[in-house]
Amino acid sequence: MNEEYLWDKSGEPDPEIQHLEDILGGLRYQPKPLELPTDIQPHRRNRYLPLLAIAATLLIALLAGVVWLRLQTHAPAQKLEAVNEQPSVPSSSPSPEAVVPNKPEKVVQQSIQPRHRELVASNVRHRTQPAAAPSKEALLAKEQLMSALRIASEKLNLAQRKAQGPTPNQIRNQHKIG
Amino acid sequence: MFELDATADMLLMSQPAKASTETPATETRIEVVLVKAVLEGDRNSFGRLYDLYAPMIHGILLARVPRSEVDDLVQDIFLHAFKKLHTLRDWAAFGPWIAMIARNRAMDFHRRSKETVEVTDDLRSTDTSTTKANEILELIRDLPEAYRETLVLRLVEGMTGPEIAERTGLTPASVRVNLHRGMKQLREKLGYTEAL
Repeated sequence: MNEEYLWDKSGEPDPEIQHLEDILGGLRYQPKPLELPTDIQPHRRNRYLPLLAIAATLLIALLAGVVWLRLQTHAPAQKLEAVNEQPSVPSSSPSPEAVVPNKPEKVVQQSIQPRHRELVASNVRHRTQPAAAPSKEALLAKEQLMSALRIASEKLNLAQRKAQGPTPNQIRNQHKIG
Repeated sequence: MFELDATADMLLMSQPAKASTETPATETRIEVVLVKAVLEGDRNSFGRLYDLYAPMIHGILLARVPRSEVDDLVQDIFLHAFKKLHTLRDWAAFGPWIAMIARNRAMDFHRRSKETVEVTDDLRSTDTSTTKANEILELIRDLPEAYRETLVLRLVEGMTGPEIAERTGLTPASVRVNLHRGMKQLREKLGYTEAL
């Protein structure tokens, strides 16, 4: 068998293959016109489809970026709030510097942007500031006021007693003396 | 035996596909141009694609379905391809694409029809040469699928190996091996039948 003739009809023709070609050639395709219905049109290719696909991809990427940014800004605040939820040192602790959670509270207040501050539920305890130590002059004035009030109170009591008259015990005692 | 076959295959595959290099690149460009024109509304360009590929589709179908059904199926396949041409991504791959449509359509035909139709249909001819051709065609159809399609395209449609590779999308080495093995098996079958 001539392999080259079988492959591309080159070289010396193979009689057996030629014989088969002659016989089977009768079954060969006979050209016929293609009958395409006139009402069928090929689908037009949308020229703008690639541009639309690119635009849609960019839009999706933009939306994903916005969502990611929002999550990023909310996530640290939530972490710090979670830290705040840890049990704090009892309030009986005398010095405010010894209370640890005070420091993260300050960090939370700094990290939350002003526009988000009202959106974040904070766990901040509003503490009353300890009263400032009174000065010496104030203490002196207070003592003077208190002593004046005490004297006035004593004098009022004495006047009240004189107005009510002597008590029975006083009369009895006077009677004994006299 | 298997070692000899394997050695032969290696030799066939290692040979440079001389004719495949001669495959004109212009034809691919013609396909691309024609598909583009059809998609832009030119129906005549699809007629040119039909002229180029109808023999291949005819051969693919002839290797699988009764001869009497082939012509109608060829028209049907090209009509389907015309409707679905916008789904073809690689315009240069029009040949492999429509070849696959033809193979699938042949499988659908066998699912729907009965094998008895094939026998009565093909043996209807009284012409001696046609009868002989139908007998050989039946022998080819008994071969493995890869061999029968390649052999029909070569022996019936008169296409060369490089043309078969170019149109169907198969590699030249595969076509060469299929031709070699298919021809070998067909000879064995022909010798067996002639002895009877």
